[in-house]
Amino acid sequence: MSLFGTTSGFGAGGTGVFGNATTDSHNPMKDVEVTSPPDDSISCLAFSPPTMPGNFLIGGSWANDVRCWEVQDNGQTVPKAQQMHTGPVLDACWSDDGSKVFTASCDKTAKMWDLNSNQALQIAQHDGPIKSIHWIKAPNYSCIMTGSWDKTLKFWDTRSPNPMMSLQMPERCYCADVVYPMAVVATAERGLIVYQLENQPSEFRRIDSPLKHQHRCVAIFKDKQNKPTGFALGSIEGRVAIHYINPPNPAKDNFTFKCHRSNGTNTTTPQDIYAVNAISFHPVHGTLSTVGSDGRFSFWDKDARTKLKTSEQLDQPITACCFNHNGNIFAYASSYDWSKVGGKVLAPPPKKKRF
Amino acid sequence: MWYSFAWFDLYLVRLPWHCLQTFCWVLPQRGTTALKVKQLEQKDRPQLLQPSCEDITTQQVVLISTMAEGGDMEWELSKENIQPLRRGRAISVLHEALSLQQDGLSSAINQQRQAFESELRMYDGDDPLDVWDRYIKWTEQTFPQGGKESNLATLLERAVTRFTEEKKYHDDPRYVELWIKFAENCPEPLDIFRYMQAQGIGVTQASLYIAWSEEYENQGNCRKADLVYQEGFKKCAEPHDKLLHFHKALQARVSRQVMMNVEEEDSDDEPKQPERVSLAELKHRGKKKAIAPINRTGSAIRSISGGMQSHSAPVLGNASNSRLVVFDENKTQSAGPSEPKLEAWAAPPTSRAKENERNPEKWCGVKVPQKSKFGHTVMAPPPPKPTFQPFVEESDQPPTMTPCKINPAVNTVLSARKPHREETPLKRLQEHHQQQKEAESGKLQEQSTYCKELLLSGATEFCFEELRAERYFKKVTPEVRGQKDQACASTSN
Repeated sequence: MSLFGTTSGFGAGGTGVFGNATTDSHNPMKDVEVTSPPDDSISCLAFSPPTMPGNFLIGGSWANDVRCWEVQDNGQTVPKAQQMHTGPVLDACWSDDGSKVFTASCDKTAKMWDLNSNQALQIAQHDGPIKSIHWIKAPNYSCIMTGSWDKTLKFWDTRSPNPMMSLQMPERCYCADVVYPMAVVATAERGLIVYQLENQPSEFRRIDSPLKHQHRCVAIFKDKQNKPTGFALGSIEGRVAIHYINPPNPAKDNFTFKCHRSNGTNTTTPQDIYAVNAISFHPVHGTLSTVGSDGRFSFWDKDARTKLKTSEQLDQPITACCFNHNGNIFAYASSYDWSKVGGKVLAPPPKKKRF
Repeated sequence: MWYSFAWFDLYLVRLPWHCLQTFCWVLPQRGTTALKVKQLEQKDRPQLLQPSCEDITTQQVVLISTMAEGGDMEWELSKENIQPLRRGRAISVLHEALSLQQDGLSSAINQQRQAFESELRMYDGDDPLDVWDRYIKWTEQTFPQGGKESNLATLLERAVTRFTEEKKYHDDPRYVELWIKFAENCPEPLDIFRYMQAQGIGVTQASLYIAWSEEYENQGNCRKADLVYQEGFKKCAEPHDKLLHFHKALQARVSRQVMMNVEEEDSDDEPKQPERVSLAELKHRGKKKAIAPINRTGSAIRSISGGMQSHSAPVLGNASNSRLVVFDENKTQSAGPSEPKLEAWAAPPTSRAKENERNPEKWCGVKVPQKSKFGHTVMAPPPPKPTFQPFVEESDQPPTMTPCKINPAVNTVLSARKPHREETPLKRLQEHHQQQKEAESGKLQEQSTYCKELLLSGATEFCFEELRAERYFKKVTPEVRGQKDQACASTSN
């Protein structure tokens, strides 16, 4: 199935909204909208690695599918392929050579999708929905790391139905990130565990959470020598913590900042605090982007500790974001994220933006 | 039937041959005769010859058990650690729970708990108490030791506070049971019961009065225990027969106790070895005639036995010398039985005395006391007044205030430093009042835009995706069932 031959067909979602003169809260930044977006909220976005020519974007959604688009240099997106799960897709990632896509779903399985043959095989099984999936490429092994709500972290060689290794966590995995040789997992009850992946994955350290509310998203950043040195952690109450693993001066180097709040200086109405849904780092500049339930995305410089830019407010929360491999393209997904009670789900288009 | 004999010191145990697979070794201590041998399986009762039991002192029993089918051993080995339940425990669940304890929380338990947690959040029927009730009952059965893993204390606290406002549950026996369990977990159950009475929770339920009076009885206050029952009768608590039955039992216990006390006093007539009489007047030695004044009150006078009674008169005469008035609780008995007073409660009493836990709290608004320019520490505003009148000793003088200049620019009255957060419902209520005050004073308020109730409702938290996944599964399963039915129907045609 190389085209989206589902019952909804092509063009079910938004069409391109170039050159719209009126102010449009649906796409106020006038970014390019991706054609044929999924029918339900988007849970994750990922761009293809540099080993592959061109830019391919995959997005998993709550409509049980994961779709792949090719993003061309002129900004146009071409839908390429799609795969289905039997439950909502919660996370997706690429292998390092760009030939395979791994998807994790609420149906407690993870699948390996070979893009050349367009076949998907199940490679992992958990006792609960799998919340995060990452590809690990080490000098002496490569595997998939899956974190699940069954409180385990499992490592899978894709050829075998049994995990290579299974690590027990104190609580359910809420988000994770991997940059070899470091992996960070944020769990429920504000748990935070760092793993080291050299030789064999093992728990490195448990960290006291720098945040006081539930963890929502995490992303590892690298230092000037391109080695992972710390991570950014976002919570459900409009705050992001920057935490270094081995800083020279922890009290000064680690800090938190507020973001995704309304009503900056107005004191008469209460300030609304929104959840930070995703964080991603620019691969070249090291600046970070955060997207929140308030429908905005922002760019920050963590070294200068300044905010670089905030977008206009979209009409729906932004649920996922990512940069492409050279940092030229930033994709974000605007869709209902169930952070508020009630409301309806609208057809959500993932948008992309050029720098 | 061939029996094997096992000789241990002085006794004999005849075990059926096929019973040897589940052995029970009893190693007696030196010098004692071992007595107890565990019953193995019901169908294979061993024949036991017991020697005389006079010199059984302590015994050390070492049980080595292979894995029996029924797992009877497990229960015996850990029965000290099992919290008793009023209705008893289902033995099969108990076995399962105990055998699983070694492995830590098994995934089946995890899944069951997760199912309960999501049911708590997804429930939209008329009777949310039912979910809480089942969840708590399951937790009690599955975690026999109680303890932190079970989250039982948290669950109970959440359950009772959640429905405090709902009048319809005030007389629901399940809800009252939850309160009673909660009270038993608290350091001061009597406070909880008084609060319940003040709020009108369970005042027509016999179980409240029974539990309350049991607590008084445990503390040795039989008089109050009886009064509680009187209160229950007055309020026509249901079921009436149960209340009557327990009251009679209490009266029987109390009268038995009184009889035993009287017997003890009578038995003092036996001539005892001469021994120093306690509470008696001290004999003086030497030439000086100074006698330490002894003041005995009430029951102590009665207990001075025998020939020392004659000294009681001069003893009492010394009463005027002493400045200390010893409180005599027996005197107040004449005041007449008083009803348990209905005090005004602002908030339910604390569930635990732990004071050093902090809730997740906002970053802003928390100020560290700074030294002002003039070198005096800025005075933090006094913590909100407690709702009762604290006892003040007469001799206590208010500390003299040395006049000092308070920098008018540093005005801490309105931008109040938040009182140290303790994990107590009382504090939470006070904080709520303070937030309202702050709103009036114009301080920046914050409001989260997500549904806190749903995320934090049960014993553990949920994330947005978990909530959404629950809704998805709830929607999908009836659809799947519908499709299956359709498929079956079409194939059968």
